[in-house]
Amino acid sequence: MQILPRHYVFLGLFLLIGITMALDISVDVKVSPYTKKMHAYIDSLPEGSTLIISFDHEASSLPEIRPIALAMLRHSFQKNFKLIGVSLYPEGTLIGYRLMKNIAKEYDKTYGDDFVYLGFRPQYIAAILAMGESIESTYPQDYLGNDYNSIPMLSNIQNYDDIEAVISIADGSLTTHWIEYGGQFNIKILGAVTAAMVTTYDPYLSSNQMTAMIGGLRGAAEYEKLLGMKGGGSRGMLAQSAAHLYIIFLVILGNIFYFRSRKKGGKS
Amino acid sequence: MNRQIPLIVCFSFGLVMFLQYFSNHTISRSVNLAILDYWQIIFAFTLIIGVVSFIKVNLTKISRRIDRPYLIVGLLGMISMPFMALIWGIKADSPFMWMFENVQAPMASTVFALLAFFVASASFRGFRARSLQASILLGAALIILLSRSNLPLPYTEHLSELADWIRNYPSMTARRAILIGIGLGSLTTSLRVILGIERTWLGGER
Repeated sequence: MQILPRHYVFLGLFLLIGITMALDISVDVKVSPYTKKMHAYIDSLPEGSTLIISFDHEASSLPEIRPIALAMLRHSFQKNFKLIGVSLYPEGTLIGYRLMKNIAKEYDKTYGDDFVYLGFRPQYIAAILAMGESIESTYPQDYLGNDYNSIPMLSNIQNYDDIEAVISIADGSLTTHWIEYGGQFNIKILGAVTAAMVTTYDPYLSSNQMTAMIGGLRGAAEYEKLLGMKGGGSRGMLAQSAAHLYIIFLVILGNIFYFRSRKKGGKS
Repeated sequence: MNRQIPLIVCFSFGLVMFLQYFSNHTISRSVNLAILDYWQIIFAFTLIIGVVSFIKVNLTKISRRIDRPYLIVGLLGMISMPFMALIWGIKADSPFMWMFENVQAPMASTVFALLAFFVASASFRGFRARSLQASILLGAALIILLSRSNLPLPYTEHLSELADWIRNYPSMTARRAILIGIGLGSLTTSLRVILGIERTWLGGER
């Protein structure tokens, strides 16, 4: 480490990400089979289907989660789905509401008729199980304080039997709870997760307990490509690729120094 | 008696929740819904314990003059946010939302983003091919990193296939083994708690 002081490593990464983000270049990506499956499933749902979008994340992961959430919301509104927004994390509640409201405006969707935001309920396992019995008892009022029964879109929604799928937008393991507890009501679970969580959900995806999944900024960029639009995912790909290359370069450099010092009989 | 009542309550609720899972009867469903409601209410009360504990710990440290400025900022933040929500609400243009979007969200993202710098530093200092196992780990990591980057490299197609193979076989095998272990562990622990064999949750001896 004496050969390359830590602050140079930090400075190198800072400059690299700063410059690539400032360039604001959207990179073309090759769409993976995982993202194609997610897109194909959502595309196959009939217009007017009702979906739950669960904002199961915190503010810290917003730069990565936001492009994924926007891509999911845009596709859903394009398909004229009825969307029910919920959040199982307190921090995700405000973020989810703002995202839904802003994207709904882009597609001229009306609150109460095309989408509704129910907000946060404490204890996610209990909330998931309770919605399986009755969404109305779990959320007697929506996020804005309107009675459940006064919202036209929800007049025929009792429980998961009336919901086509749940899209869990998560930065942690909360989607696991949707799979394990929501899954017992035979509802389809779709995951839109951060890159670090992708391998956590691979077993569920392979066993079809999870219907489809997109992961990370790369997943968002791929989804944006399938939707034919440019967004935060494709804009961030250049910076992410550059950072990956930088890490690879550091790993190789570190190993060169390590083997050289070992050859000389010194400590690494 | 002090220990027997909680044990009876625990056993009864464990048994009821277990049995109701296999029944679709109206009474069973309404019992389930009522218990789930109470679960959420009890959880909400634990948040109060968290808040009280946070205030107590911080006030004690402030009185001892440990990291005073940071603790005062933390306490002010915790007190001011609920007050702002109560006075002006949490609508789009409210002070609460301004604080959330312009203070809390950027600070949380900043702390999370710092991880990238630690990863960069750690990859240079610690990620070394010291043994065969470490070399395999290193090789797999490099393949995954390269495949997730968007680089105009030759053999990109094969690299992605190789990365998917790593995800679908070695990685998923390990993950499944861990999940099955967690599942079996949860099952046995739950049974031990319901049957009163495991009593550490009561705060005393086993």
